[in-house]
Amino acid sequence: MTCSEVQRVLPEMMDGAPNNELQAHLEKCPACSDLVAELELISIEAHQLVESNEPSPRVWLAIAAELRSEGLIRDPEAKPGRPVLVPTERRRWNAWWLVPVAAALLVAASYVGMRKPATQIAEKPAVVAPANAPDLAAQSNQQKPAPQVAETKRPVPIDRSLDEPSVSAPVQVVSTEDRQFLDDVGQRSPRMKAEFESQLRAVNSYIRDAEAYLKQNPGDEDARQHVMAAYEQKAMLYQMALNHIQ
Amino acid sequence: MKPHLTNQAAGKGDLTDPKLAKTAEAEAIERAKQGDEAAFEVLYNLHKRRVYSLCLRMVSNPAQAEDLAQEAFLQLFRKVGTFRGESAFSTWLHRMTVNVVLMNLRKKGLPVVSLEETIETDEESPKKELGGPDLKLAGSLDRLQLQRAIEKLPPGYKTIFVLHDVEGFEHNEIATMVGCSIGNSKSQLHKARLKLRDYLKFMRAEKAEKQ
Repeated sequence: MTCSEVQRVLPEMMDGAPNNELQAHLEKCPACSDLVAELELISIEAHQLVESNEPSPRVWLAIAAELRSEGLIRDPEAKPGRPVLVPTERRRWNAWWLVPVAAALLVAASYVGMRKPATQIAEKPAVVAPANAPDLAAQSNQQKPAPQVAETKRPVPIDRSLDEPSVSAPVQVVSTEDRQFLDDVGQRSPRMKAEFESQLRAVNSYIRDAEAYLKQNPGDEDARQHVMAAYEQKAMLYQMALNHIQ
Repeated sequence: MKPHLTNQAAGKGDLTDPKLAKTAEAEAIERAKQGDEAAFEVLYNLHKRRVYSLCLRMVSNPAQAEDLAQEAFLQLFRKVGTFRGESAFSTWLHRMTVNVVLMNLRKKGLPVVSLEETIETDEESPKKELGGPDLKLAGSLDRLQLQRAIEKLPPGYKTIFVLHDVEGFEHNEIATMVGCSIGNSKSQLHKARLKLRDYLKFMRAEKAEKQ
């Protein structure tokens, strides 16, 4: 068998039964042997990629919402009419948790603005801050200073984050703000609280992993994108929770 | 009472034992048929990474991949009542995902089988690449680079490569799903691997140059 014959039969032989003629040629031809070895390596490594990506929490939330609206989920807790469980007066007192919402949204938005071309932003699903979120956040700031927001969330401005070691500071699995927010959600529905808590844990882990990876690979554009995506996901999660509660 | 179907029980990485995962899955399928939300979530968590990864690799766009993963799960959950267990649930889901993605590609007018198949000549033969000892892909591959290289593949090659080498479908299954001959599937897979090899060598050379 010659090298050009190998080229011709390789597509058929690569994943098929062993062929003596081919084997004999590979043993004496380093070029063809290297080629086959490299193609096999690509094939083997590719299979390791099978489950390497995690969808954002919005996917499950959207699926669950759709299943509910189609009546495929029968929620034993569901009550007709979905009463408003957080009265306006009470919300004003609890508006403090809009601070992390606004912070996460601002971080995501500023990072998107700084790092993403406009076309890519347009491709992303809309992550729109509630019109009143910054105002409410400011309002709640007046009512209750929240220095711990910056401390626990570490939404370090991303342009600085690449140079500063603080970027890798651990994000708590569920931070104090998250916990307080969850308590508010829980007042509406324990089931909803459990759902959001699980999603928050996932997204916080993602933030932690992404920041750690960015620290290890400060020049890697993908690593930056992951940090940005992680904060976007958190912002999205808060936004969806807001939509449920309001 | 639903003692086993908690989020913690499945899909969060706790069910590493395949037997336990299978049991949880079987139980979740039965409960999902009754409309149990937790059961749907268990099924989602068990399969979300694989389904999303498949979508992402096929379309190379995270937002679009999430939409497709969502659509695949919705289609599956709407039909879960008809699942009788003759085939593996995961096979059923992954076939459905592939169909959703292929349908989407067709809608956009993107080729699911490479158009290059008919016009490529021996000029693209890998032979010209042989004998470059400095560029050998010896040892292991950088997975991130491999991911990037896959993203660069032309759509048709990408489809066949992802389905065969990443997802593990056989050529006859791919031929049926994609609508091409088995020979065509094999040929395109081979060309996809050759292209990936070129891309990876190029990336490696580029990286070496920078260093």
